[in-house]
Amino acid sequence: MFAQRSKGAVICAAAQREAHPWLDIRNQTAFEERGWAVAGPLLELEGVWKVFSGVPVLKGVDFDLAPGEIHALLGGNGSGKSTLMKIIAGVYTMDAGEMRLEGRPVRVDSPHAAHARGIYMVPQEPQIFPHLSLLENLGMGLNEPPEALAERVRPIMEGLEFQADLSEPAAFLSIAQQQLLEIVRGLLRDAKVLIFDEPTSALTFREAEHLFERMRRLTEKGIGIVFISHRLGEVMEVAHRVSVLRDGEMVLRRPTAELTPHDLVRAMLPEATDAEATRDEPAAKGQRRAGAPVLEVENLASEAFTDASFRLYPGEVLGIAGLVGSGRTELAEAIVGLDPYARGRVTVAGRPLLRRGPAEAQRAGLVYVPEDRHAHGIFLDLASLYTISASILPELGRLFLSTTRETEIGRRFVDSLNIKLRSLWQTAGTLSGGNQQKVVLAKALATRPRVVILDEPTRGIDASARRDVYRLIRALTEQGVGVVLISSELEEVVELSDRVLVMHRGRVLGELAGDAITLERVTEASFGNLEVPA
Amino acid sequence: MRRLLKSREALVALLLALLIVATGLVNPNILKFQSLVEILNASLTLVLITLGEMFVILTRGIDVSVGAATGLAAVILGTTLNLGWPVALAVLAALATGILAGAVNAFGITVLRVPPIIMTLGTLGIYRGLMRIITGGSWIENLPQSIKEPNLWSFLGIPFFVWVTLFVLAATAWITLRYRPARYFYAVGDNEQGAYVLGLPVRATQFLAYTLAGLFAALAAVVYTSQIGFVSMNAADGYELKAIAANVLGGVSLTGGAGTPLGAAVGALFMTAVHSMLIFLGVPGIWDNAFAGVILLLVVYVDYRLRKALELQRRHARILGETGVSDG
Amino acid sequence: MARFFRSWEFALAVLLVLELLVLGMINPTFYNLENLLYSTLDFMHILFAALPLTLVIITAGIDISGVSIMGLASITLGLSWVAGVNVFVAAGIALLVGVLAGLFNGVFVAKTDVNPLVVTLGTLFMYAGLAQGLPSLLDLLGFKAYGSEGLAAYQYEGITGLPESFIALTEGTIGIVPYPLILVLLFALVLGLLLHRTRFGRYLYLIGVNPEAARYSGVPIVRALVLAYVLSGFGAALAGVMLTSYMTSARADLGGDALLPIITAVVLGGADILGGSGTILGTLLAGTLLGFLRQGLLAMGVTNDLIQVVVGGLLIAAMAAKQLVARLGERRLNRQALSGRRRG
Repeated sequence: MFAQRSKGAVICAAAQREAHPWLDIRNQTAFEERGWAVAGPLLELEGVWKVFSGVPVLKGVDFDLAPGEIHALLGGNGSGKSTLMKIIAGVYTMDAGEMRLEGRPVRVDSPHAAHARGIYMVPQEPQIFPHLSLLENLGMGLNEPPEALAERVRPIMEGLEFQADLSEPAAFLSIAQQQLLEIVRGLLRDAKVLIFDEPTSALTFREAEHLFERMRRLTEKGIGIVFISHRLGEVMEVAHRVSVLRDGEMVLRRPTAELTPHDLVRAMLPEATDAEATRDEPAAKGQRRAGAPVLEVENLASEAFTDASFRLYPGEVLGIAGLVGSGRTELAEAIVGLDPYARGRVTVAGRPLLRRGPAEAQRAGLVYVPEDRHAHGIFLDLASLYTISASILPELGRLFLSTTRETEIGRRFVDSLNIKLRSLWQTAGTLSGGNQQKVVLAKALATRPRVVILDEPTRGIDASARRDVYRLIRALTEQGVGVVLISSELEEVVELSDRVLVMHRGRVLGELAGDAITLERVTEASFGNLEVPA
Repeated sequence: MRRLLKSREALVALLLALLIVATGLVNPNILKFQSLVEILNASLTLVLITLGEMFVILTRGIDVSVGAATGLAAVILGTTLNLGWPVALAVLAALATGILAGAVNAFGITVLRVPPIIMTLGTLGIYRGLMRIITGGSWIENLPQSIKEPNLWSFLGIPFFVWVTLFVLAATAWITLRYRPARYFYAVGDNEQGAYVLGLPVRATQFLAYTLAGLFAALAAVVYTSQIGFVSMNAADGYELKAIAANVLGGVSLTGGAGTPLGAAVGALFMTAVHSMLIFLGVPGIWDNAFAGVILLLVVYVDYRLRKALELQRRHARILGETGVSDG
Repeated sequence: MARFFRSWEFALAVLLVLELLVLGMINPTFYNLENLLYSTLDFMHILFAALPLTLVIITAGIDISGVSIMGLASITLGLSWVAGVNVFVAAGIALLVGVLAGLFNGVFVAKTDVNPLVVTLGTLFMYAGLAQGLPSLLDLLGFKAYGSEGLAAYQYEGITGLPESFIALTEGTIGIVPYPLILVLLFALVLGLLLHRTRFGRYLYLIGVNPEAARYSGVPIVRALVLAYVLSGFGAALAGVMLTSYMTSARADLGGDALLPIITAVVLGGADILGGSGTILGTLLAGTLLGFLRQGLLAMGVTNDLIQVVVGGLLIAAMAAKQLVARLGERRLNRQALSGRRRG
């Protein structure tokens, strides 16, 4: 149904209105009657600024939410959506700007203060207490007797098809279940303003539908809901209005009825020039498969995916498409030997890997650039140079490290990757997201790899850094390096890949190549449908 | 398997019972009621300190000043008694000292943001120094009979302080299990960020934990002073480390969020019972420390291996399970 | 160079000079260089143990078993000597024991996920117990003949009468510089080179700042951690040997009260207890600063007890100030960025 919508939003919207009469609420008059014009906005933000370690993340953002409204907030990774929501929810405090609740200025300087004013956020990253029971996890901070709580929890869990023992410790929940736990927490709260930060990323279609039904019922009580999502289909379906953030600035805020999905994509995408930068000569696609494979993966399996096999040839970009939780990252980690429990065979340039760990993989010419830059990639509190050289220290001298060679290599990458820093000794944590990512890329490239696995290489970085990353990928392939590209930005996968491997729920469904690599086909495939749409 | 892991206190209690019985095979005297009561009685000070330390460890903190706080409270108790204060008032003064000592730690950690190990290491020095400054370095002796008396009281052949400690233990166990705000200790230690986002009073909880550690240290000081009958300048020296070891032994995780008062108490009992067992076995007391260390390392190592095995089992189960799943 | 003048080490050096000036004004013996150098003997064992502990703390670890290793090394030395081993060979055995003790710590910490504090707490008890029990253990093993009434007799009073040549280890000087001070400086130099100039040292920082990123980058974590703890064990044993010579007797409980000053020296030296920062020079300067402070206060007639209070207070104040400066710095940085961007 996603593909349908990208064909023509008008048809789609009409069809939906038939299926869901409540959607008439998007009719502007009805919407205004419902609260906006009558009662005034429920929540308003004006000129909000937020700076982290000297890097501005929000640059004077305005936002408002009407009672009874579902307001979708969109934006690319790193655009500042989560930061804005965390400010509303009191997790962060704004550095400048004003927030008004029901017309009155309020200061919300802690989540506790936010809750007291009826603002609750379901965060994107599940916050669980692993040692405590599921029921305790749900009730933490509610001050409600367990029996009464269990009564309220059961119907919600049933609706979300969330099957779990309430007395089990939360440590045993899967990531998807943890996200459900967070949603249940949100639905349990008596909030005036409810924020959902990407609640559906791990939900099935049916579960998501149930969540939307719950959300609608809440709006009938006059509750305002902010809803962050990457799935445009959902946004068109449930939201009354849409706001779009880009690089910390609000670039669009309009009723959904006046918008098409295309408008949203255009608003979210960085500058038009950037889209061009990703463009490659289409003729080259799929033509690069020459010589012996540089990476072979055979029957690899772990707890998150099963039976993965593929080959990568020199100078080729193999995209891996799939939803969050489809096992993409776990596959990459298993390949380089970060998962001791994985099984299967990995061969790099004809040499089998024992999968002992990244050091062994790097020696064989295989390097992995992890998805979570802060947790797994960078050394934030140290000089940027120390991240760049982290994987090649043995090459920098037998006994003593050669500072000359280290800085020389550092400079080379600063130049070639266009890293913006005051000096190589500038603390990595004070660099912008894009430059941090480039530093991590430099660390990987310094090992002079034959195969690079890039996991979400453009997550949370700005337009120009993104362009540099695309250029880099192209330069690598020209040198004959094989690239595995894992990304949630499907446009990126489509534009850059020679072949696309599709993963769905831990399985490699199949492969798309050449002309078959279109945004629609890849999107469809990510949802588990590899067939050509009728 | 999972249930076995869950009840670390049962595991350690079982091990303790087995060791006592084994000792009994060599020297049956240890199995006499009187001997067992003595073992229990000798463990009270450490049990109380350990219970206080437990609150701190639950919140993922550490307090290495509890032994010094015990010593300081004992000095205040002894000094006020010798000044002629009535027992009740002197005990209150001691308890207030403990609370204050704990609150100072709490202030440094939650307000000044000094890392717990540094803060309490600093106050360890300060409290020990204060002890000697107050007394001029000499022991406090000639304490009035009124403070030594309660140690002689008993009910059903079990000494008064054993009953008191049991009562404190039961109350702590009940509160941590049933009183909802007491669960905050667990939540804060399990996931501090999560607790903050859910609106829990994170800093207040941490503050309370360190203050409770001080209060329990003072309770221990009262029991200690009554049992020994004087206050030496080495009073409760090194108990901070023993209390941490006892907690770890009893399953209170240093990474926060897991453990029970019963486990902590069993751990403390174990630490002190080792001493008694060695005496009954005719092994010189100097081996106490070595045994305590070996047992602590052994228990955490076995615990680590068990968790690893469980993890492996879980992972393999998932690999197999996933294979059968179809896309529905 | 400008960076150095804003560094914590420079601040410590300035403080150290100021401290000596003030102490000298109160008590002119501090202006006597020979006296001053000689007085370092009183706290050299703190430095021997604190210097390598810096490496451990940089990895976000901790080793509190050092104080027990000191006693263990001392009694090992004494007993070996009683058993007829040459006293310098005995010192070598003591150092080897320290290395082995550190090896055990390191392997346990690196190979399991047990908190380093728990591991070294366990070994703190274990090594102390071993040191105390060693004489009677050796008796049981049949070495009784070496002591006139069994080795257990040495349990409490320690082993005295060590050869002059061994005592000279801490009494001797080159010019006016005592041997132990030279050894401390050499030790600091070696450790400093190791930490700041070799890849091993870099690994320690990487592990301390972000162990997961270190793993993903292919850093040999186990090897680096084990070596750090081995060096810590060796340093503690070295402290034990030197202290044995200085005290002229081998005792199992040597250095028992050194834990607080050792950790204070490392932390005051700029090492972050949460890992990722710290320098050998910082620890050396902070340890010396604290040592002279103690000397000075003692000379002024301040009691040991009050000194303990002062040192504890100093530790807390230094940390609190550091936290405050960091928070203010972050706030200033943000305010600058904010005003700059809004104007622009």
